[in-house]
Amino acid sequence: MGAYLVRRFLLMVLTLFGMSVLIFVMLRLVPGNITDIIFDSAGFVNPAKKAAIERQLGLDQPIVTQYITWMAGLARGDLGYAFVSEKPALDEILPRIPVTAKLAVLALAFSVLFGVPLGVISAVRQNTGLDYVLRVVSLSGLSLPSFWLGLLILMACVHWFGWIPIYRSSPDNFWQEIALLSIPAAAVGFRSSALVMRLTRSSMLEVLRQDYIRTARAKGASEPSVNYDHALRNAVLPVVTVIGIEAAFLVGGLIVTETVFNIPGVARFLVEAIRWRDYPIVQNLVMFIAIIVVMVNFIVDMAYAALDPRIKYEE
Amino acid sequence: MRARLALGTVVSALAATLAVTPALAQKQGGTLRIYHRDNLPSASIHEEATVSTVQPFMAVFNNLVLFDQGKRLNSLETIVPDLAESWAWDPTATKLTFKLRQGVKWHDGRPFTAKDVQCTFNKLTGKDTEDDFRRNPRAIWWQNLKEVAVNGDHEATFVLNRPQPSILSMLASGYTPIYPCHVKAQTMRTNPIGTGPFKFVEFKRGDTVKFVRNPDYWKPGRPYLDAIEWKVIENRSTRILAFVSGEFDMTFATDVTIPLLKDVTSQAPKAVCEIAPTYVSTNLIINPAVAPFNDPKIRSAMALALDRKAFVDILSAGKADLSGVMLPGPEGLWGMPPEVLQTLPGYGGDVEKNRAEARKIMEGLGYSEAKPLKIKVSTRNIAVYRDPAVILIDQLKKVHIDGELEVIDTSIWHAKVTRGEFSVGLNLTGVGVDDPDVNLYENYACSSERNLTKYCNKEVDTLIDKQSSETDVAKRRQIVWEIEKRLAADLARPIIFYDRQATCWQPYVKGFVLHHNSIYNNWRYEDVWLDK
Amino acid sequence: MAVIDHEAELARAGANVRGPLSSILFFARSYPLGALGALIMLAFVATAVFADAITAFDPLTTNAHDSLAPPGDRHTLGADFMGRDVLARIIYGARISLAVGLGATALGCLGGMIVGLMSGYFGGWLDLTVQRLMDIMQSLPLLVMALVMAASLGPSLTNTIIAIAIPLVPNVARVIRSSTLALREMPFVEAARAVGMSETRIAITHVLPNTLAPLIVLATAQLGSAILVESALAFLGLGVPEPHPSWGRMLSESAAEYVRTAPWLVIFPGVAISAVVFGTNLLGDAIRDMLDPRQRF
Repeated sequence: MGAYLVRRFLLMVLTLFGMSVLIFVMLRLVPGNITDIIFDSAGFVNPAKKAAIERQLGLDQPIVTQYITWMAGLARGDLGYAFVSEKPALDEILPRIPVTAKLAVLALAFSVLFGVPLGVISAVRQNTGLDYVLRVVSLSGLSLPSFWLGLLILMACVHWFGWIPIYRSSPDNFWQEIALLSIPAAAVGFRSSALVMRLTRSSMLEVLRQDYIRTARAKGASEPSVNYDHALRNAVLPVVTVIGIEAAFLVGGLIVTETVFNIPGVARFLVEAIRWRDYPIVQNLVMFIAIIVVMVNFIVDMAYAALDPRIKYEE
Repeated sequence: MRARLALGTVVSALAATLAVTPALAQKQGGTLRIYHRDNLPSASIHEEATVSTVQPFMAVFNNLVLFDQGKRLNSLETIVPDLAESWAWDPTATKLTFKLRQGVKWHDGRPFTAKDVQCTFNKLTGKDTEDDFRRNPRAIWWQNLKEVAVNGDHEATFVLNRPQPSILSMLASGYTPIYPCHVKAQTMRTNPIGTGPFKFVEFKRGDTVKFVRNPDYWKPGRPYLDAIEWKVIENRSTRILAFVSGEFDMTFATDVTIPLLKDVTSQAPKAVCEIAPTYVSTNLIINPAVAPFNDPKIRSAMALALDRKAFVDILSAGKADLSGVMLPGPEGLWGMPPEVLQTLPGYGGDVEKNRAEARKIMEGLGYSEAKPLKIKVSTRNIAVYRDPAVILIDQLKKVHIDGELEVIDTSIWHAKVTRGEFSVGLNLTGVGVDDPDVNLYENYACSSERNLTKYCNKEVDTLIDKQSSETDVAKRRQIVWEIEKRLAADLARPIIFYDRQATCWQPYVKGFVLHHNSIYNNWRYEDVWLDK
Repeated sequence: MAVIDHEAELARAGANVRGPLSSILFFARSYPLGALGALIMLAFVATAVFADAITAFDPLTTNAHDSLAPPGDRHTLGADFMGRDVLARIIYGARISLAVGLGATALGCLGGMIVGLMSGYFGGWLDLTVQRLMDIMQSLPLLVMALVMAASLGPSLTNTIIAIAIPLVPNVARVIRSSTLALREMPFVEAARAVGMSETRIAITHVLPNTLAPLIVLATAQLGSAILVESALAFLGLGVPEPHPSWGRMLSESAAEYVRTAPWLVIFPGVAISAVVFGTNLLGDAIRDMLDPRQRF
């Protein structure tokens, strides 16, 4: 297992390195840079001053030099200065992480809390009316644009309660913040819960057909005990995988949801930074997201391996 | 604040003075909560050309002089003292001397002196090369300023090359705060320090901007508010919903469009909403350097195709103003009256007749309905630009011009236009102060950096200088109209309309007066108080 | 020729190998939800194709008097801010959505197929390099990837399709690669090799056709997600630009301005997007059940 771990880890580092090159190059292919943007907001362009700012920000350097500067900075733990706010990039990114993290955890919790039980029910009641209803609901969860769902929720809240559940900068306490975040979390989590439900259902169905379940039934184990003790325990494995996959999808959902509910998290910040061509923010933030995604996948792989002894540590 | 305007009411009173009802005792305290419409680029007013920066940050600063915050219309007559206690012209009308207030302190405790005034204008005129502004969008405002001379700590003299009465208007704009000498330009972009009623606390990009009361403010008893808190909400319907549900005390300047106003007034019937000109024009830019637009005939056919009324009807439910270059009355002080406007090419008469004439011109050049002139209409990828562009294309179709919309990413719009990489474009232009010097120099003078189409007519330049040095308002207005006629004949950036939008605030917000001929000058907030 | 018999496969999977009409009936009976999905898709495609015949309104013509007109006699689903008929825009928007959905899926699948086939069949350093590249692309969420792509390509219909297609490539490549790996060792491939066929030819004529089943399953799933990604991009200001009536942009722009004043502008395009994506999902599920009964999720 040790060798597998090392190999897996090296691959991870390689992936991240490739990611850094990719995002670095792609960002610089985006037309216009920060100087275009700041002159745009001033409504004119002064070529001499534009060049001076580019020089000051190091944008006139060859792209390889710029990349090395970035990497050398990263190695020292220095993410550079944000172009727009002229503050250290780290100070811009860090404070925005907790709120996104809370939102993501809540959304995941929502998707598991709804997805797993409904998936089990749907499998146990396979091909009944209930099963069909649950499947259609879950499919519709995968079909709604999540920002649209968020908007409908906003409209409904204002219409019926005269209250708008957008984020406030200073909630009174932790619980109030959680309460505020739970609505957007549900909007994001709805999609994931649909996926979790579908996966739980299918793996439950597969497990229910296995020999040992039949054996358990034959031995006279009660139906609920068969369904929930034997089957569910074995069906959980693939669900772990989907959580790994969803971690990446979640970020996409978070971007639009943070925009709709005006939550000042990292996901929305990323879009903002792309729009402003704020390279230090975008490249560091994208690396951060990539690290999280790669790590989650790594952990999920490990968990999978630990949970299922049949997996061999080879590729 | 008795002047609550019902929907659709147009302010007709020129220079309506609004006295705060004396019976009401102002209450101290409270936090004013306002939403912001977008991510403001920086905190430095001098380096920006957008109300996004002026509206929040004007409260941090003082000017030398200021447009009276309590009067609706800005003019040379409504300028009141701010950091300058008094001012006087010398007999040649080229030296303007300000007596400065004593005992004023910057927010960091350092004393304010005449040196600070000098420093500010050295930067604006490009004399300070050491700590330069990154951008200086209004350099053209100060082209006639030779120097600022200092006499002791409390007197500063503006020395001009030639007489220019309007320099006072520019000094009185929210765009012209006095910056401290001892703070670097970079710091002013992130942590601005001023002498104003509110101190800057923090600026969380894309999220919040906070200000607190300056307890050492030089004006006794002001400001009333303890703090001002801005929250950025980029989605307009979300922020209007938030205002309607009482989350905010005030909307962003002119943020409520005419169609949305109906909604606000029905959902929040107590809210005070005023419709006022935004002094932002929607205009057509034609690149005369690109064929076939180098042919004045094609340009005039395009001008004849415009149905300005249709634009106004669609985009502002008929509320916006048809106009020439200067904002029309009753709010605008310099615009041409409708009967004069009618005489400009493409303004008067029947649209159908104009278009028939345009078609004749086009047919003379070999175009027809079957064989139209194919062009690209470039515009910025924002709805306020795209919507009129779509209408423009619709209208050009009627004169054998087949336009294809080319949306250009916001980041490169100005760069592309400045490089002349467009043939026909739809553009928006905001004007800071209702003064011909500001509008004409910025947008039509040969030397202006913000003259997007690089329109350059020496005769017009001479006329612009002439009106600028004219002290008699009536005479000056005649010259301005003469310039308007030339600009219209040359089709220099034909103005399609000047928009109108509403600004709303809750009924308990008192002491606030919305200016009606500029959106850049009334955000000091020192007289605002909350009646809660 | 030892190509796996497609019909036999289908028959084994429970499909009926008979005339087209009875096959359709059989499909509808075995997969009622799938049939519903197919019906929705059919309606969608028909709308896109016959847009001109369905509505009398031009989706681009503006009209001052109808600005924000509510649904009624003149405008069945109301009119937008510029007085353009919403129904007409939705109908013509079907073309855009179809173009984006099909275009991006086809492009993504084609790219993924080539990459996956080469990497799976030829193996070696090529496989290693390609796999790492795919790893890299997959370490970013699809939307983030599409976002950066869309920004760098600039706003246009073609660019939006490319921006959505590229992030799809790794998913497809993975699936094709793994089935190619299995097929490579199959007896009929060995046989072809023994006959002296070139490797490239074997890959194309013998391996490729047998990877189609999983590809179809994957493609139907991606079709819906491509349409959703377009709407999300539009919401973030980077989708298909004016004057094309894209559902995503219709929805997101009216959402940004008129949620309350004119809710129909927000509701109808959203319903259109959801219905079509729902249809592809239903159909995709049924096809998956049919072609690949082991993977039931």
